[in-house]
Amino acid sequence: MKLHPEANIQISGGGSGAGIQAIGAKTVDIGMSSRDVTKDELAKYPNFNIVTVAHDGIAIIVNPQNTIQYISLDQVNQTYTGKITKWTQITSANVPNTNNQIVLIGRDSSSGTRTYFDETVLSKATPVKTMLEQNSNGAVAQSVAQTPGAIGYVSIGFLSSDVKALPVLMQNGSTVVPSVGTVKDKTYPVSRDLYMITNGQPTGLTRDYINFILNADGQKIVADQGYVPVTS
Amino acid sequence: MTFFDRFTGNSSGYTAKVSRIKEKSVSSIFFLTALFAVVVVSFILLFLLRDGYPIFQTVGIFNFILGSSWTPSAVVPSYGIFALIVGTILVTLGAMIFAVPLSIGCAIYISELASPRIKGIVKPAIELLAGIPSVVYGFFGLIILTTFIRTTFDIPTGQTWLAGSILLGIMALPTIISVSEDAISSVPCEYREGSLAVGATRWQTISRVIVPAALSGIAAAIILGVGRAIGETMAVMMVTGNAAIVPDPIWNVLSPIRTLTGTLGIEMGDVSIGSDHYHALFGVAVVLLIIALIVNLSAVAILSYLRDGRTSGPAHASRIKVPFLSLLKNKFSQWFRIAALAIFVLLLLAAALWWIALAVVLAVALWHYGRSWLSRKHIETIAFIGVTVAALIVLAILAIILGDIIIKGLPALSWDFLTESPTNLGRGGGIFPAIAGTLYLVTGAILIALPLGVGAAIYLVEYTREGRITKLIRTGVDLLNGTPSIVFGLFGFAFLVLYLNVGVSLFAGMITLALMVLPTVIRTTEESLKNIPRSLREGSLALGATQWQTIKNVIIPPAIPGIVTGAILSIGRAAGETAPIMFTAVVFSTRFLPGSIFDPVMALPYHLYILSTNVPGASTNKYGTALVLLMLVVAFYTVAILIRNYYAKKTRG
Repeated sequence: MKLHPEANIQISGGGSGAGIQAIGAKTVDIGMSSRDVTKDELAKYPNFNIVTVAHDGIAIIVNPQNTIQYISLDQVNQTYTGKITKWTQITSANVPNTNNQIVLIGRDSSSGTRTYFDETVLSKATPVKTMLEQNSNGAVAQSVAQTPGAIGYVSIGFLSSDVKALPVLMQNGSTVVPSVGTVKDKTYPVSRDLYMITNGQPTGLTRDYINFILNADGQKIVADQGYVPVTS
Repeated sequence: MTFFDRFTGNSSGYTAKVSRIKEKSVSSIFFLTALFAVVVVSFILLFLLRDGYPIFQTVGIFNFILGSSWTPSAVVPSYGIFALIVGTILVTLGAMIFAVPLSIGCAIYISELASPRIKGIVKPAIELLAGIPSVVYGFFGLIILTTFIRTTFDIPTGQTWLAGSILLGIMALPTIISVSEDAISSVPCEYREGSLAVGATRWQTISRVIVPAALSGIAAAIILGVGRAIGETMAVMMVTGNAAIVPDPIWNVLSPIRTLTGTLGIEMGDVSIGSDHYHALFGVAVVLLIIALIVNLSAVAILSYLRDGRTSGPAHASRIKVPFLSLLKNKFSQWFRIAALAIFVLLLLAAALWWIALAVVLAVALWHYGRSWLSRKHIETIAFIGVTVAALIVLAILAIILGDIIIKGLPALSWDFLTESPTNLGRGGGIFPAIAGTLYLVTGAILIALPLGVGAAIYLVEYTREGRITKLIRTGVDLLNGTPSIVFGLFGFAFLVLYLNVGVSLFAGMITLALMVLPTVIRTTEESLKNIPRSLREGSLALGATQWQTIKNVIIPPAIPGIVTGAILSIGRAAGETAPIMFTAVVFSTRFLPGSIFDPVMALPYHLYILSTNVPGASTNKYGTALVLLMLVVAFYTVAILIRNYYAKKTRG
């Protein structure tokens, strides 16, 4: 920003669909997406140039009142597919002063995070219909923070002291905490890439911007926001 | 130049011809503006159908509407919206059970009990309740109401049907209260006097004479409230949990639920354009639009039925009104009351509110059997206490919402907050671009809507007799008025942003908002034109003025306060709306103001929505934004109310 005081960056949100359409129509310079560009979209806009600018882990979160220490992905799967409905069915989990009913919180059907979560953690199963759907990471975190029995999933960039991020219990019995470090060394099992998309090779200010994000200063911002740099 | 000179100057043949051509063209311009509403409605339907049609083709209308599962992201996606339709109906029903008793009580209080001074406070307060932007309600509901419900009922989550219904009920209160209050106030004085003269108490007069006489007006008020509730998006999607399920059992008000509007609100943003899911969302919008239009048209039908009854003289009025009323009163009323009570008690039981359900049953039984033991005076006192309590509850709700936002928002307010750009996605810095963006949007919207709306109203009032064309135009305006705001958003997105390819921009937002407020402008202008005495028109025409001269110099000047009030109310409404601009005009954050109208902007309601749902740790700034938005909208409404009151006094005295 200080190097390019004339540059205006508008961040438009809640619209990866419109965003991708906008890059296709070249009304914007860069599209950011947490979901993969669909096959249809690639067929429509063959010149898309997709750059990975950061890695991201999806953390399983619960309310801080929950005594749970860790969870396995299998348990998460069973929870979201309705096979586990009480916290007492999970080791070390208990929510004092409640009947331990699990409140499932997830993302809306057009979200990139949802698609990724359903595919990897739920092995392409559809979550039960009673899952509460929110349309942003922030809304999921907010709901989990104010609901003692809740479980949800958010980008690690959205973790705060209001929610408890659960370490994942691996097959070999070890647990892995979702963090920048574990996503970076690929020990944390639920991670994905974040993209910037341009229509054709980027030029001018756009190229400078993407190069900036990819250089040390830009990647420092990525790290400051709680995401994982692509370069070391 | 005096009044006479203006008209007597042009008497030569040539100028007469010119002026005749001018008259013709002026009148056709007005006709075109009037037709605009009809064109817009057809366009909206056309574009929604165009984008929704493919899903009807793929899954079939039957499967789409009655299909029980909505899982667009599944490996084999299914697009059945039955649960969403049920959700919409249930949330609305719940809202009415909450809002109707309160509203009618409050309306009776305002029109029958309140002293003029108290009335002068309570009425504007209720109008302010109407001015609170829906995203502010949603914000309040998400943070306060859902937690309250969760802890009160000791249930896992407070994001429930009940939360949605209470919030929608609160939002429908002002509509129902003001329309029913109008209906009660316009019951002829003789009814009241006659009843009191034969020795009835005030409460007997109210409950046996006045309310029954105003019943059709109250019915229309309720239906308008239903229309308001069905079309609401932002508040509902923030508190209902959005689980696409039919509650089990069906009266379980503590179950999460999802509405048609909520589905559009949460899924439209990220959907891949042109996919089945995209078309399915437009299918949802078509269904929503049709439901909303049916509800609103029936309210309009009842209201116009009433109006006809009233204007055709007292003899006709009683002839027309009585059959409808007696039908309601004698045949259905008893059963209707019992059924309503049964539903209410069932709902309370389902909500595990045993003690309240018991209290209601006891109270009703006591009322039914104990009535004969109580004197008329005691009954009156009890009833008046009840009615006053209803009014107090409504005021308390207003006070709680305003109090919460003001107390938590004030610390955020500072000069820097109002004048600086946001940093760190809105967690830091100020909200200047959002304030400016909102002002740009509403200015553009009113500049577009005002000429079109005023033109249409002038055509409807001054140029035609009631006939088939005016009926068509009026229906168009009514339909536009009943269109849910999210549907305007979808139309703006499909037509302006994508089809005309203007992109997400200030321009698209202005037009979308302009279409949304157009019916308000037309209605308020029409009202103020109709209030101008006929003698003024006739006098001007008799002096040889042409129609356009009469309109320009005689009719419009005294109508201006009314038109301005309508315009300001529209600005207030446009400033607080999120759903229409969410897909058409706004961005998360931008450092600068837009360079042209084809740039996107920030806007206050959207910024508040983003801060309260997408950005963690923006607590102070989100309350600050809520407060600024509230102050802005309330300021617009206050100015409108003041102008109206000032001129009302002036014309009366």
